[in-house]
Amino acid sequence: MIRIKELEKVYRTEDVETVALNKLTFEVKEGEFVAVMGPSGCGKSTLLNIVGLLDDPDSGSFLFNDIEVVDFNERKRADLRKRNIGFVFQSFNLIDELTVFENVELPLIYLGVKTDERKKRVEAVLDKMQIMHRRNHYPQQLSGGQQQRVAVARAVVNNPRLILADEPTGNLDSSNGNEVMQLLTDLNEQGTTIIMVTHSEHDARYSHRIIRMLDGQTVTENILV
Amino acid sequence: MIRHYIKIAFRNLWKKKTFSLINIIGLSIGLTCCLLMAIYIRHELSYDHFQEKGDRIVRVIMEYSFGGAIQKGNFTSTKVAPSFSRNFPEVEKAVRMSGTSRVMRYEEKLFNEKSFVYADSTFLDIFSFKLILGNRAQALSGPNVVVFTKSAAAKYFGDENPVGKIVTVGSGSVPYTVTGVMEDCSSNSQIKFDFIGSFSSLGVTQENTYWDANFTTYLLLRSASAIHTLQPKIRPFMQHEMAAEVSGKDYVTYELEPFKDVHLYSPYDGFEPNNSITYIYIIAAVALLILAIACFTYINLSTARSIERAKEVGIRKVAGAFKNQIFWQFIGESLVISVAALLISTVLACLLLQPFNNLADRNLAIGSLFSPAMLLFELVVILCITLLAGSYPAVILSGFQPIRVLKGAFKNSGTGLVLRKSLIVFQFIISVFLIVACFVIQKQLEYIRSKNLGFDRDHIVVLPMDQKMKANIATVKTVFTNNPGIRSVARVNNEPINIVAGYSMRRADMAENQSIIVNANVVDEDFAKTTGVHFIAGEDFSEQDMKDVEYEDQEKKQYHYILNETAARELGWTPAQAIGKKMFLGTHRPGTVKGVIKDFHFSSFHNPIKPLVLFNENWGNYLLVKLSGENMQQTIEYLESSWKNLVPHRPFEFHFLDDNYNKLYNSEHRLGKVLNTFAAIAVLLAMLGLFGLSAYVIQQRNKEIGIRKVLGASVANVVALLSKDFLQLVIAASLIAFPLAWLVMNKWLQDFTFRVSVGVWIFVAAAFLIIAIALITVSFQAIKAAVSNPVKSLRTE
Repeated sequence: MIRIKELEKVYRTEDVETVALNKLTFEVKEGEFVAVMGPSGCGKSTLLNIVGLLDDPDSGSFLFNDIEVVDFNERKRADLRKRNIGFVFQSFNLIDELTVFENVELPLIYLGVKTDERKKRVEAVLDKMQIMHRRNHYPQQLSGGQQQRVAVARAVVNNPRLILADEPTGNLDSSNGNEVMQLLTDLNEQGTTIIMVTHSEHDARYSHRIIRMLDGQTVTENILV
Repeated sequence: MIRHYIKIAFRNLWKKKTFSLINIIGLSIGLTCCLLMAIYIRHELSYDHFQEKGDRIVRVIMEYSFGGAIQKGNFTSTKVAPSFSRNFPEVEKAVRMSGTSRVMRYEEKLFNEKSFVYADSTFLDIFSFKLILGNRAQALSGPNVVVFTKSAAAKYFGDENPVGKIVTVGSGSVPYTVTGVMEDCSSNSQIKFDFIGSFSSLGVTQENTYWDANFTTYLLLRSASAIHTLQPKIRPFMQHEMAAEVSGKDYVTYELEPFKDVHLYSPYDGFEPNNSITYIYIIAAVALLILAIACFTYINLSTARSIERAKEVGIRKVAGAFKNQIFWQFIGESLVISVAALLISTVLACLLLQPFNNLADRNLAIGSLFSPAMLLFELVVILCITLLAGSYPAVILSGFQPIRVLKGAFKNSGTGLVLRKSLIVFQFIISVFLIVACFVIQKQLEYIRSKNLGFDRDHIVVLPMDQKMKANIATVKTVFTNNPGIRSVARVNNEPINIVAGYSMRRADMAENQSIIVNANVVDEDFAKTTGVHFIAGEDFSEQDMKDVEYEDQEKKQYHYILNETAARELGWTPAQAIGKKMFLGTHRPGTVKGVIKDFHFSSFHNPIKPLVLFNENWGNYLLVKLSGENMQQTIEYLESSWKNLVPHRPFEFHFLDDNYNKLYNSEHRLGKVLNTFAAIAVLLAMLGLFGLSAYVIQQRNKEIGIRKVLGASVANVVALLSKDFLQLVIAASLIAFPLAWLVMNKWLQDFTFRVSVGVWIFVAAAFLIIAIALITVSFQAIKAAVSNPVKSLRTE
């Protein structure tokens, strides 16, 4: 599903160059659950952003479903992204002005799904995430675990083939964290590919494969399954 | 999708009530100005458009040269209309008109009517004024008939049908038959009247001469383009007509003015003062400027909020929003604000219409705010504002990179900060400019108010009189002065604040063609006492002097003159030399100089003090009554009751000389008021803009403020640090505005011969004012930031 070859990304400020990705090569197959680990600044978030089509590499190749996407313009990337990729963030990133229902509905609006169909699908996913009873609440009225469940619901509502999770349990206590990891595992079992960046060895153990990064390169791969 | 946008727009507006309110208020103020000015401009542009034959009507302007001086004006003799009708096939009809004031009486109702117009019977054929009662073909035929407007008819006759009733007109109480009732003149008509009397009632010679040009002539041409064929024929025609009367380089000719152009393009007034197309352009520019300032404020406030909205934009993009979808979402918000502002400003415009009417000296109706054209205009303005004010913030916001804003590493690079600072500087340039302009105008008006005119204008009551009162004027004066509250009473032709009557004068030993143009005023022996003018040589008129002109036989009359210093100087005399010298006023008034008075201001400060002659004829238009200043109310009541006994044929009307003096500067007072209003609006909007920018910048520097405080900076340090940058902007704006204001206001002052200087303190005061305003605005935000807990700002990073 994802084939990355000799990917380079350098951040430049006036007099400092920071190499975030250094000729990284990396592959994820359909249906895999991959955890990316490494110390701060090793490039794992940059990798996630590029895979999520939120950022451009400087050079190298990135095939998404065998299509080269490196040269895509913003509009094409946004289009590909909204049909195929869901995101889960450490800080949930829900819109404060929208209710739970409306937050989850957002990707469907941008996909152009009809109102009735939207309602059905949002309710289904809220049900699945066991947060239906909170549908009319605003994010600030929910606990962290509930907020992250809403975020996961939003990530999966358009049935993406790939979920990118950036330290999804980072802001949660262990029991809420476990719940979210279980959700992701369930999704993976239903066929969704997951790439998760994490600092937590505990969380990483939910995955099939752990990639460890240092200075913009992968250093080891542990296959867990 | 649209519903979603509107929903989120409302929620955002609601959540940030202060910001939304400031935004809406700012735009509402700008829009209100814009709406009011738009209906005003529309009204002015619509002048005389209701005249169905307006395109074919022209006004005749007389131009003549006599001894090298060219005179031009909206006056013609009675001969032009009949002569042109006969001689030029282009002319279909012609009408002569004359506006005047007349005392009118019907039974017990007695008024001095100021809008009485005489017109030929063709008036009703040429103009489209609607006759409600009476026969259009005959209403103005024959002498001594009059047509009332609807409201004038109601004033005299109530609900009765006035047609056929007899009213008396003028000091001679001539009976006139009412032959019709007309619709009131619409406010956008250059010809305004309450009464139209038939021209033949005037008893003037009908076509003897091209001189005695005291009337207005309009021609109805056969086609609109006929003006081009007719105009070149007039000069040769008039050369032929006047061959016997003028010679050498002297000439008489006429110019044709398209009727519809008079109100905005002619230097010569219609039956009311004209407007000028230049003013219309200025007003349109000001309206746009205010709207632009309001939009700038909106831009500044909206972009100030961009950091708060950044996260939302990031999430939306991650959730699949295209850049243009985000862009339209923010445009949608701007639309909601604009529409809210439009609704508020429509209400405001309705509420402010009356004060605005007073300011503009118009009578615009509320309905004009809702005419189809205005609604269309509002729609266009709303779309413009939405796009103009909304697109910059929308572009900025929709351009945010989601990874930056979501990872918390978001920092505004400062793009656009230069633009926003420029907008603020621009707003403050206008504010400072207007503040200086207001100060200068106030200073000049204060100077006008307080300047000694050379005579005492306080406590002088002016009573209009007429020639019928000549007979018992002595009795009137005696009865008046019997009251202890009345010091003296004088009879004059013109009020001393504005002596306009023009004559020629010369020394007895000068040739007739060496005459000097002077202003002259008919006065009696009590004028000097009543007004307190100062004699520097000779003496005042005596009662005997007044008797010296009371002969029927012109030969026996003896004229006496009092000159002002300038008149004496122009005749080549020192004040002392002038006394007893022989001179002429006009061609037929030989007389001697009795006294010389100190120059006083007898016209507005726009003009230098010109030569003035006071002379003793036995008529007048006004009585000047000098009151002691005590028990004014009782004294005026006494004047009124005595007047009713002594002058039963005239209503008692009075005003204070000082009020009329102030009216001389009406346009300056109005300009002052208009500029004060604009200055207040501009300053308010600039404050809102600065408030927005400071909020934005301080938000950006939150972390810096936190670090500084941790390192020991006091609140005062932080406030000073934050205010400094904004003060620089305001000072820069002042430095640009000052020379501009200095130039423009000096130009304005040039119109006054007697004027104040702009003066350094005005700039100092303006600078202090604007800096204080800026500091107050910024310190709101700065103090809030400075006292906040640094731990909070550091943790958010």
